[in-house]
Amino acid sequence: MTDAAPPIVARTRTPEFEARLKQRYAAERRFKALGFGAVAFSVAVLIILLGNMLLNGLGGFQRSELRVPIDFAQVGLSIMEGTDENAALRSLQGQGLPEVVRFAAEQALGEEAAAELNNEAWREVAVALVADPALAHGQHTFDLPTSEDLASAHAGDGKVELQPLAQDLAARGLLHDSFDPGFLQRSDATDPQLVGIWGALKGSILTMLVTLLLAFPVGVLAALYLEEYAPKNRWTDLIEVSINNLAAVPSIIFGLLGLAVFLTLFPGLRSAPLIGGMTLALMTMPVIVISGRNAIKAVPPSIRDGALAVGASPVQVVFHHVLPLALPGILTGTIIGMARALGETAPLLLIGMRAFVSTPPDGFTDNATVLPMQIYLWSDQIDRGFVERTSAAIIVLLAFLLLMNGLAIYLRNRFEKKW
Amino acid sequence: MSPAILLFLAIGLGLAGWLVARARAWRFKREADPKSANGGRLAALPIYHAWYAGLWIGGPMLLFATVWNAISANLIMQHVVGQDAASALPAFGLRRDAMLAQAQDVASGLANTTAIPEAQALVEPFREATMLYGWIGLAVTLLLGLAGGAWAFTRQKPDFAARTRVEGGVLAVLFLASLVAILTTFGIFVTLVFETIRFFGMVSPFDFLLGLHWAPDPMAANADGSRYGAIPLFWGTIFIGAIIAMIVAIPLGLLSAIYLTQYADPRWRKWIKPALELLAGVPTVVYGYFAALTVAPAVRDFALAIGISSASSESALAAGMVMGIMIIPLVSSLADDSITAVPQAMRDGSLAMGATTNETIRRVLIPAALPGIVAGIMLAVSRAIGETMIVVMAAGAAANLSANPFAAMTTVTFQIVSMLTGEASLDHPATLSAFALGFVLFIITLALNVVALRVVKRFREAYD
Repeated sequence: MTDAAPPIVARTRTPEFEARLKQRYAAERRFKALGFGAVAFSVAVLIILLGNMLLNGLGGFQRSELRVPIDFAQVGLSIMEGTDENAALRSLQGQGLPEVVRFAAEQALGEEAAAELNNEAWREVAVALVADPALAHGQHTFDLPTSEDLASAHAGDGKVELQPLAQDLAARGLLHDSFDPGFLQRSDATDPQLVGIWGALKGSILTMLVTLLLAFPVGVLAALYLEEYAPKNRWTDLIEVSINNLAAVPSIIFGLLGLAVFLTLFPGLRSAPLIGGMTLALMTMPVIVISGRNAIKAVPPSIRDGALAVGASPVQVVFHHVLPLALPGILTGTIIGMARALGETAPLLLIGMRAFVSTPPDGFTDNATVLPMQIYLWSDQIDRGFVERTSAAIIVLLAFLLLMNGLAIYLRNRFEKKW
Repeated sequence: MSPAILLFLAIGLGLAGWLVARARAWRFKREADPKSANGGRLAALPIYHAWYAGLWIGGPMLLFATVWNAISANLIMQHVVGQDAASALPAFGLRRDAMLAQAQDVASGLANTTAIPEAQALVEPFREATMLYGWIGLAVTLLLGLAGGAWAFTRQKPDFAARTRVEGGVLAVLFLASLVAILTTFGIFVTLVFETIRFFGMVSPFDFLLGLHWAPDPMAANADGSRYGAIPLFWGTIFIGAIIAMIVAIPLGLLSAIYLTQYADPRWRKWIKPALELLAGVPTVVYGYFAALTVAPAVRDFALAIGISSASSESALAAGMVMGIMIIPLVSSLADDSITAVPQAMRDGSLAMGATTNETIRRVLIPAALPGIVAGIMLAVSRAIGETMIVVMAAGAAANLSANPFAAMTTVTFQIVSMLTGEASLDHPATLSAFALGFVLFIITLALNVVALRVVKRFREAYD
């Protein structure tokens, strides 16, 4: 009787091996979990950041208002028609409209509450009157902004002695928070109840216009030259190196350049969109060149060869064939570069675009500020009201950036060809 | 003459020349072969004749109008100052500037009267000088346009190769556009070097680069070298940007990249990658606000809770952490690029030998991708130390030479901003020190970028 052959056991699968394998698989799972954790953390931070701004910012689109019925029939105001609004407002001020509003508020709300009506509240009444002079012959109920103190008391902090008043008024339905469309129409002010974003937004639009008009043509032409015509020599290498470096230079350095060069050339234009736009254009141009070169490189050589073969000159090849085909890619890069410029603050801080601008700029040489700068300036204010306003301004800025990036993605998907 | 008028004049005359030249070229074409409806052959299409004339007329006019616009204000000022009425002006100072500015405002119709009565005498000279130089500018612009047009029209003949000329002009414009980049780099370099030399004329470079005490006094009349020691700023910049921010950004960015390239379901990857890029697109001022309003108080409360009583509301930790979060997408996308550049065969070989995925990643992919990853980290560091708004809003102004992450700490970029937004005049050493700091920052980021790009290039060649 012979012994049965010992069972064939794979020599590698020893108990030690099994234990090690288990360990290795555990390490694998741990590593995977770690990676997942890193991604989850980043996404969580993004959600917290946006959620934080959104929650705070929703309050910033609102303001506290007092309900004040005003009977104009007793007062007999005459409204100048056909003149400009400022003259009409001055005339109403001269006729004692501020006192009329104050008196009506005292009648409706009591003296203590009327004292907390915003000092500029009459202006809104005056604007309404100028817009619709028929109001001056009857009674009309206005929702007028409160003082900053009452607004923060209404929100549950600020001066303690005002809180009972705020609660009382709110209970009687005379004090309430309502959506404030004026936030998108007014400009900077010292009182958070009266500030608006329009001035900064208009400054941003003007600045971006200058940036686009300067950076886009120069960037596209430089990209065309480098990709299509430049001979391979030291000079071209130098241009390439300096473009790559410019794209990586910290933005604040461009501010130093703008300060030392542009403000020396145009000393009167401190804080003007023209200078801001020029500084940002220097920063945006390399981005456009680099993305433009990639888009041009993606156009297959057969297109050029075909055009050359039927007798087009090198310039015709580029302007009739290569450029139109590369344009969607170039535009995508341009929009991304512009989005970066729109959110840029540091260089503009150095060239002095941090002025208090209470009227929207009317031209490229007026005093102006831009959206990110307005956010920075408001974030320095201590008033509680400004915290919400800052977040609201951030929402406006982020909405614009999202819009631009969305447009870039749309362009890329819609027009970009895969060859 | 307002710049807009000169601009419209240049465009209008250019357009007129364009139309006339095109009509003239068509006449040549018809005369060349009167029987054919389309005329005969010219050396160039009529449209190129049109552009040739249009560019010769509009180009010089636009060029001159730009230059004139930049210098005419100075010319007017010099003209007025040279007049008799200007002899009553103070020799220099704020009052002189104010008088000139007020008189100019009245002359150009921006104001009704001058606040300083003596300035009234200058209004008339200003008005005259503005008129005079306005007419000179207009006349020279017109002359240039006419001369250019005359030149173009004498050249225009049936056998004139207008296309090659126009294309030569186009190429010249393309070349000039590419020069703007060099000019900008040159401008940055010259500005920074020039102002830095002026600064080193007042404060010794040794005091600046090796001094341990930073407290410039923008009001002091003399530069005190011992107050301009920049070591605390360099340390703050490195501590926040290269240490704290990188401790956050490198592991998170690297692990995200590994997870997204090696583990994640492609459907998820399609959504998560843009979400990470969104993090990179958020403006820095928003991060700064987030750091100052949300993160910094939380960090301080945490520090107080674990018994660090010196914790301030502005801390290096808060600024560095938020900066690190901002950098995550940059590290992640650069690491992603270099990991995917590793040839598939290396990965397959390792898996075939029985290595688990994470062993393959750690023992094969990462060592192979290391140069690219290191270059990515260098780019990230250069981005972090140049970052301004986060530190301006969250890091504090006190120059502190400490390794306590809960202490307020200042950076190079913060000091550049605070020196240049203060009250000091442009010639003061405190202001000039900002340029010296900018120069150091420029050199360091430049070096980091050049080395990183070279490493990436060599690395790419190794696997191509």
